[in-house]
Amino acid sequence: MSSLVRVSLALAKREFTRFIRQPQRVVGTVAQPLLFWLFLGAGFAGSFRPAGMEGVTYLEYFYPGVMLMMMLFASIFSSITIIEDRDAGFLQGVLVAPVSRLAIVLGKVLGCTSIAMVQTLIFTVAAPFLGLNLGLGGLVMLLLGFVLTGIGFAALGFLLAWGMKSTSAFHAVMMVFLMPLWMLSGALFPLGNVPAAMKMVMLANPVSHALVIIRMPFYYGPATLLADPHYLTSLAVTVAWAVLCLGLSMARVNKRDQGVAVPAG
Amino acid sequence: MIRIDSLTHVYPGSRKVPARVAISDLTLAVNEGEFVILSGPNGSGKSSLFRILCGMALPTSGRVSIGGFDLFAEPARVRAILGVVFQSPAVDKHLSVAENIAIHADLYGLSGAGFRKLRDEALAWTDLGDRLDQKVETLSGGLARQVELAKVLMTNPKVLLLDEPTTGLDPVSRRSFLDALHRLQQTRGMTVLMTSHVFAEADDVDRVAIMRQGKLLAYDSPTALKAMIGTEMVVIHARDTEGLAERLRADMGLAVRCIGDEVRLEETENGESLPLLEKILERYRPDVLTISIKQPGLDDVFVHVTSKAVPDHALALDLKRTGT
Repeated sequence: MSSLVRVSLALAKREFTRFIRQPQRVVGTVAQPLLFWLFLGAGFAGSFRPAGMEGVTYLEYFYPGVMLMMMLFASIFSSITIIEDRDAGFLQGVLVAPVSRLAIVLGKVLGCTSIAMVQTLIFTVAAPFLGLNLGLGGLVMLLLGFVLTGIGFAALGFLLAWGMKSTSAFHAVMMVFLMPLWMLSGALFPLGNVPAAMKMVMLANPVSHALVIIRMPFYYGPATLLADPHYLTSLAVTVAWAVLCLGLSMARVNKRDQGVAVPAG
Repeated sequence: MIRIDSLTHVYPGSRKVPARVAISDLTLAVNEGEFVILSGPNGSGKSSLFRILCGMALPTSGRVSIGGFDLFAEPARVRAILGVVFQSPAVDKHLSVAENIAIHADLYGLSGAGFRKLRDEALAWTDLGDRLDQKVETLSGGLARQVELAKVLMTNPKVLLLDEPTTGLDPVSRRSFLDALHRLQQTRGMTVLMTSHVFAEADDVDRVAIMRQGKLLAYDSPTALKAMIGTEMVVIHARDTEGLAERLRADMGLAVRCIGDEVRLEETENGESLPLLEKILERYRPDVLTISIKQPGLDDVFVHVTSKAVPDHALALDLKRTGT
């Protein structure tokens, strides 16, 4: 096994081990979106009548949106542990070890992605009750959507958390930044009836594309998906987003404090 | 084994805080197999130097090589031979002792029977044998330190850097930690550079470096450093420290110094101190609260060297005497 894989997996395993030893964290992160889904689903059920989506209840429409929310928030907020690792001293031990900086980023990102996936997969048990029957192929495509979304946004969380001094600052910034991105992704309402300017923003939003690759496997098999330009575009955007965030995170880890020139006088 | 040449490090300033020189033109060499303690008052540049040696910061200028590798050009090669013990243990307190050691093994590419052998060797001197499954957060500070040192030693580093590793330890734990460190350093021939404020830790080491304001003020063996300020010193506690010092200088021509609430007469040789003490008592008995003769320790050398009362020309003299 290469050093990159071994170290990444060891660090990811540590992240996951810490998570499963905190059952309240599992319950909290699953219960909140579940309640959100049930309450909003029930509240908007009567008024949800978008053109071309007859027969789709709001609970069903909102279901992938809640999954996206879980992936997004769980992966990003799990990366907050980078601040704890730094404050507690663990991170410094990793930074002085003879390991690639990419392995440090991947270890945290894969750990956070796996945590987010476990939480979201628990939620997939609701799918049959909505009449959404995933075949094996659909499940694989759904998992692909989860993994790519998790990696991209965990890497974004890593990137932002790396420079932050406190977890409360991280929470504040992420809520201001992340909630609008999720709201403008099509998770709450379809893109069809929104003003043109807002639609442009939604299309440029990487979270919208993550939603596409999570929603479509519930309705189409792998063969159809891999021939669908809309799906492929979103897949490409999500992959590019993940690569971009990983690259930026690695550059951030590589950056060391640099002394400046001796002041004059 | 460690060569630091003309190292300067300046922290960037901001609108409110000016740029700060942390290390100024520092040159220092630690030979293979040596145990060196680096000391200095707060803000002397020790921590900045430690961060640079660990590869966590890049200096303004200067060169550092460790084990023959250029630290800034070949950081990965340096990391492979380096063991680092930080002031706050770099362990995950939520994981067990065994889990922490296993993660460290993964970071250093240790596995299988080789890993188990090195792990058992590294744990042999510790009190952790029956606590491997215990979470680190449930251990005492001394035992958590042992976890840290055991996992670092498991990788058999050629060079070991320690940043005030005994901070927060009680005297018994500190002694036990240092004994183990010395024993392992000698049996493995490691090169050790350790920052410390505690001079009781420095008597057994090969050399002690003392920094102040980013500069190296003294660097020699403990014996040679102590000889810098003579074999004996007279220490006086007085009602009016400054007043008595002034009179001793004026009346008796003694080169005394005020350090805190003490008047010190340093650099006296065996046999000189007692007659001096008697003379001082004879003249100034009402002003003197206590007076004693003591053999200088490294803490006295530290006070002598780092005291702001020491003018620059005196520091230059000390450097000459210590050969740095």
